[in-house]
Amino acid sequence: MKTLVALCLLIAASLAAQTPPAAAPRPANNMLISRAVPDAAAVERGQKIFVGNCGFCHGATAQGGDSGPDLVRSALALDDERGDKIGPVIEQGRPGKGMPAFHLPADQIQDIAAFLRSRQQAAIDRNAYSILNIITGDREKGREYFNGAGRCRTCHSPTGDLAGVANKYDAVLLQSRFLYPRPRPRDAQPVRSEVTVKLASGQSVSGTLEYLDDFDVSLRDASGDYHSFSRDARVKVEVHDPLAAHAELLKKYSDADMHNLLAYLETLK
Amino acid sequence: MKLRLAALALVGSCLMAQGLDPALLLKPPTEAWPTYNGDYSGRRFSSLSRINSSNVTAMTLAWEYRLDPGTGTLTSTIKSTPLEVNGVLYFTLPDHAWAVDARTGRQLWHYQWESHGGIHIGSRGFGMYGGWLYFETPDNYLISLNAKDGTERWHVEIADVKQEYFSTPAPIVIRNHIIVGVGGDSLDVPGYLESRDPETGQLQWRWNTTPRKGEAGAETWPNPEAMEHGGGMTWVPGTYDPELNLYYLGTGNPNPVMAGQGRKGDNLWTCSIVALNPDTGKLAWYFQASPHDTHDWDAAETPVLIDGEIDGRPRKLLAQSSRNGYFFVLDRTNGKNVVSKPYIDINWSKGLDAKGQPIGNPDKEPKPDGTLVIPALGGAANWPSPSFDPETGLFYVNASSSYSLFYLTDTNDKPEGYGGRDSGLYSTLALKAIDYRTGQIRWTHEYNRGGSSIGILTTAGKLLFTGDPSGNFIVYDPANGKILWHAHLISNVSNGPMTYELDGRQYVVVGAGDTVYGFTLLQ
Repeated sequence: MKTLVALCLLIAASLAAQTPPAAAPRPANNMLISRAVPDAAAVERGQKIFVGNCGFCHGATAQGGDSGPDLVRSALALDDERGDKIGPVIEQGRPGKGMPAFHLPADQIQDIAAFLRSRQQAAIDRNAYSILNIITGDREKGREYFNGAGRCRTCHSPTGDLAGVANKYDAVLLQSRFLYPRPRPRDAQPVRSEVTVKLASGQSVSGTLEYLDDFDVSLRDASGDYHSFSRDARVKVEVHDPLAAHAELLKKYSDADMHNLLAYLETLK
Repeated sequence: MKLRLAALALVGSCLMAQGLDPALLLKPPTEAWPTYNGDYSGRRFSSLSRINSSNVTAMTLAWEYRLDPGTGTLTSTIKSTPLEVNGVLYFTLPDHAWAVDARTGRQLWHYQWESHGGIHIGSRGFGMYGGWLYFETPDNYLISLNAKDGTERWHVEIADVKQEYFSTPAPIVIRNHIIVGVGGDSLDVPGYLESRDPETGQLQWRWNTTPRKGEAGAETWPNPEAMEHGGGMTWVPGTYDPELNLYYLGTGNPNPVMAGQGRKGDNLWTCSIVALNPDTGKLAWYFQASPHDTHDWDAAETPVLIDGEIDGRPRKLLAQSSRNGYFFVLDRTNGKNVVSKPYIDINWSKGLDAKGQPIGNPDKEPKPDGTLVIPALGGAANWPSPSFDPETGLFYVNASSSYSLFYLTDTNDKPEGYGGRDSGLYSTLALKAIDYRTGQIRWTHEYNRGGSSIGILTTAGKLLFTGDPSGNFIVYDPANGKILWHAHLISNVSNGPMTYELDGRQYVVVGAGDTVYGFTLLQ
């Protein structure tokens, strides 16, 4: 038994760094989490109790081990509410399957239930998963791509608009932003297309594109006035999309190009 | 066959005035639209032609109906294709159901279910049997309502919301089978399809989308635990061939969704087109659209039944514009492949195996530092209904050319949940007309912005009805893609357009956001 306890402690110590932090309360609009988020202090207590008592068989993260099943995806553990399903199993054990009985007070069983719920919710809430290290490319090759095949230099400069870009965005955001910098509502100066509408009368109006579909087009001219037009065969619409080169490049990148370019952009601090 | 006819006759004799004559389920939809796709074929083609290419410019709004669940905000746009039976339209939102007059849009009743939770992403509508309606809820109840007044007859639980199941499909009624599916891929639960008794809701049969230990298909999984947690949801209604007595269904992606290292193998019968006997739930054949999927590319898209001709021979075919970007045509008698051809430019496939199934490129499976994949997670197409027009011989789909980064976040030998993340980058959307015999694209209408797929209807009036990503409802000439009519709605078309004729007037009904619109010709 002593060996067991020692082993459990060892597992606890070695896994502490990998175990996700206790789940923080989710905002009410988190579509993925439909059940109550357990109290963080209960999760922390429950984790210690679980690792000490259950981790040897079920694994310190409750994902199962050599002799105990996964409890994160366990139907019984998912059905549980504050220990009402797992409590009897802990108390009585499962002699037929080699699980001994554990006599734990009710509050500790509730804490274990809180820990298991947090583990389940960590697996369920995919939007909260941490992305691992993505800076794996060759920065020199990335620089070559920037100046060569990628033709990034046509519009961008590492000492101009991209100076300090690696401080502005974390690596994950930087990767998706350089691939396609989709305009976002919070952008101070969102990238907008320019448009020229040539009417049947010969009149021509230019400005920033506001709206375009198969039937209508609208723009705001240099003085801020809004204009909209119906489209037909006699109305010519010419759009200049400053992001067109990004869309074109998406078809051409190899994953190595992409990783190298990110590694290079990460040097622009 | 005799028995089946007898069963039909029995149902027919006890119909209520407002009920559905089951014979209508076996006919092309005209005065009624009695099932999710209008008929069993999934073609979404109507033989009605009162509204046609010579007069569609006179099509105008007859009525509109704004869905008000009384809860302030809608949890989902309307995704339900209304049923229309005996002059009444029936449609749903998650936890809510309505009946409105099909001539006026006037509400007859509203039913509300008290929810126990679940993801409220959508509800695809009703199935109908005689005077009874059936729909599924986010917390996985199958509810039977009286079509006359919307009162509840019974409800039965078909899956456990605490296991992270949620249910969205419209039940499909085949004789006395109410065929129901389930959804939910957050935490590696196994998928299944069930048939329920129309009178009691009792289980008639269940077909598991993944095998259990020792069963056929188990060889495509590494161990029993992986297949029992292998996903494969059944969230889009299927189609049915009464002559072959086979129900066709596209199954969802395997679990864990993006981390495939714990489920090496093809992972049958996820991401597959399957043929099942609707009386027993027994599998007749399968074709796997995405063996060992790691991109969330359900093959759940409607398997459309085409009675066609290939090399001068009449053939019973099935076509699917699959989420992974491939257009598949199969012989629906045996599942043998006829066509497998991408309908957008894709970058994840190394070609086809001997059965015509795509071979995934392992380099394009999610990676810790990300891989750039076409199409994106949402796919080239998704649940919104495509259409097949037998008069043009063309299959129509709104196809998204889309780009995503796929990251592997869980590198354990036994990952759980999604095990990865995606980051959508960019997309363009285009209406495409595909020759079912070859997979060649005959014409394309490119929209000037991206978006996800949108439902389509074709009619014998030589018209194609669909939406664009800018909120327009548009009528095209299905032969060449010429635009004939349009109207700007409150938001993008969010369900499949449908049509019916009453008192010599043809109506076209479409849902967009929180509103259902009825269009007809000016009088």
